[in-house]
Amino acid sequence: MLDARTEKLTIERARRGDRDAIAELIEAYQRPLEAFLFRLCGKHELAEDIAQEAFVRVIKSLHRFDDQYRFSTWLFTIGKRLLVNAQQKMKPVAESELVEFRAGESKTPLCEVELAERGQRIAKLVTLAVDSLVSPQREIVLLFHQQGWSVQRISEELKMPEGTIKSHLFRARRRMLFAIEQSGVSNPNEVFQ
Amino acid sequence: MNWHIDGMGGLDGAGDGRRPSGRAQRALVRVLLALRGEATRCGAKSRDRARAEALADRIMLELPRSVLPLGIAAAVIVSVVCTMPLVRDAVAPADAGAVPVSSVVERGIRENGAALSDGLGALREIVAPFAAETAPIEEPSALAPPANAAAPFSRS
Repeated sequence: MLDARTEKLTIERARRGDRDAIAELIEAYQRPLEAFLFRLCGKHELAEDIAQEAFVRVIKSLHRFDDQYRFSTWLFTIGKRLLVNAQQKMKPVAESELVEFRAGESKTPLCEVELAERGQRIAKLVTLAVDSLVSPQREIVLLFHQQGWSVQRISEELKMPEGTIKSHLFRARRRMLFAIEQSGVSNPNEVFQ
Repeated sequence: MNWHIDGMGGLDGAGDGRRPSGRAQRALVRVLLALRGEATRCGAKSRDRARAEALADRIMLELPRSVLPLGIAAAVIVSVVCTMPLVRDAVAPADAGAVPVSSVVERGIRENGAALSDGLGALREIVAPFAAETAPIEEPSALAPPANAAAPFSRS
């Protein structure tokens, strides 16, 4: 992640067609964006494709970017919209409030490299916890815990009161907690070793 | 991580009123940390860099041509067009058939000057007959010399 000042300068350079600045912006945000999209859709390839498309659109439209906002906020908003559009085109999914927990079964297989890096058991437990969330809890949890956004920033982005965001976070954590509980995790220290 | 898990039973349809075990709570903390690590971990930096470079190249290809190169190209074209006659002049001694630009300009001025002179000549030819028939100018009447040139004033 770039700090605000560096981000602004890099955007200025990118607006002038500086290819290195464009690469720096992409490098700074591609992993967070892909991680966010992956946890929303559960498909690594789709998340990667959507992230690339989001970068293409955002950088082509940099002249319209208002400096008073954060670049990452804009990028994530476009990424999320593209993902929603892609999902609607592929297959209409009716989101249910009833969440089926699949302990010990990964619905969203990570790529081999990531599995090797992080360990299959960790991936399963994270997937289990995130999959237990429904919209908009999942998005709020990802923005807060995964991306490190503040409650205020999430509130502005999702156009919800801060109190509502905090309430969603509280409920989401409880959902994840019970999902983990029901999965029968024996010893978390052992799981994450 | 600062949130309460006491008395959560029955809320949001999750749980059955049981207090989650300490193990589950610790696992959740680890899950959230792992989630954070997905966006921040810095392994495989070179791979990320390579992907970013490739995408940047793709975007650069798709970007519309910026105004600056077009402006430079236009300036070069104008410069070439404007300097071509001068270049031709410079090369002229080597090529006998070429007419120096300065000569061309001079000739143009002379031709225009000649045309102007011709116009004035024509005007003169038109005006000349009328000038010949002008009424004779009356001779000024001779004034009688004063009786006393030395004493122009009447005597008192």
